Amino acid sequence: MEAVLQTPPEEGTPLRPARNGEVLLEVENLVKHYPIQSGKLIRHKTGEVHAVSGVSFHLDIGETLGIVGESGCGKTTLGRTILQLQPATSGSVRFEGEELTTKKGSALRHLRSEIQAVFQDPYASLDPRMPVGEIVAEPLRIHDRWGRRSGPQRVAELFRQVGLSKGHANRYPHELSGGQRQRVGIARALALAPKMLVLDEPVSALDVSIQAGVVNLLDGLQNDLQLSYLFIAHDLSVVRHISDRVAVMYLGKIVEIGTRADVYDLPSHPYTQALLSAAPIPDPRRERERQRIVLEGDVPSPANPPSGCRFRTRCWKAQQICTDEEPALVDRGQGHPVACHFAEPAEVV
Amino acid sequence: MSGEALLEVENLTVSFPTDEGIVQAVRGVSFSLEPGRVLGIAGESGSGKSVTTLAIMGLLPKSARVAGSVRFDGRELLKLSERQLETVRGRRISVIFQDPMTSLNPVYTVGWQVAEAIQMHQDVSKKQAWSRAIELLELVGIPRAAERAQSYPHEFSGGMQQRVVIATAMANDPDVIIADEPTTALDVTVQAQVLDALKAAQKETNAAVIFITHDLAAMAGIADEIIIMYAGKPVESAPTDEIFYSPRMPYTVGLLASLPRLDTDASEPLRPIPGSPPQVIDLPPGCPFTPRCPLARERCHEEEPELRPFGEGHLTACHFAEELESRGGEEIFAPIAEDTEVVAG
Repeated sequence: MEAVLQTPPEEGTPLRPARNGEVLLEVENLVKHYPIQSGKLIRHKTGEVHAVSGVSFHLDIGETLGIVGESGCGKTTLGRTILQLQPATSGSVRFEGEELTTKKGSALRHLRSEIQAVFQDPYASLDPRMPVGEIVAEPLRIHDRWGRRSGPQRVAELFRQVGLSKGHANRYPHELSGGQRQRVGIARALALAPKMLVLDEPVSALDVSIQAGVVNLLDGLQNDLQLSYLFIAHDLSVVRHISDRVAVMYLGKIVEIGTRADVYDLPSHPYTQALLSAAPIPDPRRERERQRIVLEGDVPSPANPPSGCRFRTRCWKAQQICTDEEPALVDRGQGHPVACHFAEPAEVV
Repeated sequence: MSGEALLEVENLTVSFPTDEGIVQAVRGVSFSLEPGRVLGIAGESGSGKSVTTLAIMGLLPKSARVAGSVRFDGRELLKLSERQLETVRGRRISVIFQDPMTSLNPVYTVGWQVAEAIQMHQDVSKKQAWSRAIELLELVGIPRAAERAQSYPHEFSGGMQQRVVIATAMANDPDVIIADEPTTALDVTVQAQVLDALKAAQKETNAAVIFITHDLAAMAGIADEIIIMYAGKPVESAPTDEIFYSPRMPYTVGLLASLPRLDTDASEPLRPIPGSPPQVIDLPPGCPFTPRCPLARERCHEEEPELRPFGEGHLTACHFAEELESRGGEEIFAPIAEDTEVVAG
């Protein structure tokens, strides 16, 4: 598998290699805290939810970075903060070298055409009273890119790209199946020819037999259009399938990041190991033999995260140092960055 | 496959009259369940897997038309009155649903709720019920159970809530536990904990378990036998290993081929099943999987295949199951990305 990862993308993708490998997005020490307010008459801040606490990574052109983690780990907040759907508390997000966190108004609108989003529930993100053809056309109209001839042509092209027939354009969202609706969501996201998509659980609401087609579609679109993906999901198997690199999040922080082979074949953070060992494999013989790492307890509240290493309250390796000192996300001899004082690769799948 | 059947379901059908026509949610389900066994029922949304269990429990709305037979311990459940059913439900057969908060009452402590389930069906004192409740909470892995029993459901995480539901489900030493997507709403590390709790519950009570899920991978480690449902009918039924290693129905083959897995080459494209599951209103004649089946031919459009034996304990509803002996999923299903669904209506 390593060999596969090190070779450039497969042939038949003439567009890509030109700028491939260049950094498109750079996130540095990104923090997003939400205030907790109380008081009936006079609202005042009584605490903070540390949803994202100092996250740094980069995303290259034509690359997919998978963000995995369980509910409450901050992966969705991370995506929304990068999209500037909500202001960052601190830190920096640079897209093609430009700082996004300070952008406002029309500059921000221009940015939106470069970074688009696809969300989990296409039903919630598509206007039920609009034919889906109109839904896909809307971004073009808003950004003044709608031409009398070129507009409909572009919509037809988008429908073809996401594998929908022209006949679908006049239908309303409720007349389509879940898989078709998600394809409409993807077509809308592609309308303005963005460079990057933030995909937040794009296939988790779909039936398995349908999911695979949408994953293949995303793979193909990336090759054809030179797209970069930030792929946020809880499903480790889907993330493994689609990602070039993977970041594992726990309680607002990245605990391990590396190539797909690094993270899945040589997971070195205890949390990554626990996650992988808990994910079921559709193979009864292997399932019966597998040793599971079953974690004790629950994820602590992000309003009051543990001192030192945030995973230490559930970690079987925890020592005094884990309480006293937060482990930095650095390469500790595993070949990729791991935020654990006792990082050690293990095979768990 | 020997021994006394505890629960026997025969040709169960459920339909709902609606404005658009009659929805045939379940079109003939038969199986038998022995003590201590885990039967998995797998299928995608709309396959009828949940309606089947609601019918067994007598929990369907009045508008549902239920036919067939559900025999439990010699009694026909479909003929029992609501009153008589109450002696079975929660005591002899209990259910665990996907969302624990549909089963838990937010205004009572969790200990109270488990104790209430005990007192409802057993002649014990309040004190005895309470201490048994704490034992049960311990058994499903709730730390400091005596103390946590005083907490309210909202003070628990989803995984902990689901464990309370499991404790309640086993409170009366049931013969059958039905678990309908019990871990679907939970995170993967919590899923593992809850499955452990469910296994512990089964071991303690020696109950038979019906485990319903859309997640084939989750089923691999827990089920003894598996029924695959499609469009309201079982289309394949076999011991777990057979389903995974030698499926004999193209739908099962396709489901397994479409799964992204942790243990295979990730650079291979996935192989989706073309199209989407059918509406169960006005199903055309023939095999309901025909429009999506790469093996389909003339006969499949005309004649719906009956479930027929194919080897030891293995049943399949495919006219051409023999062809699957030599051809795997990679060969049958193509790695496509287009949407091939027929536009409805």
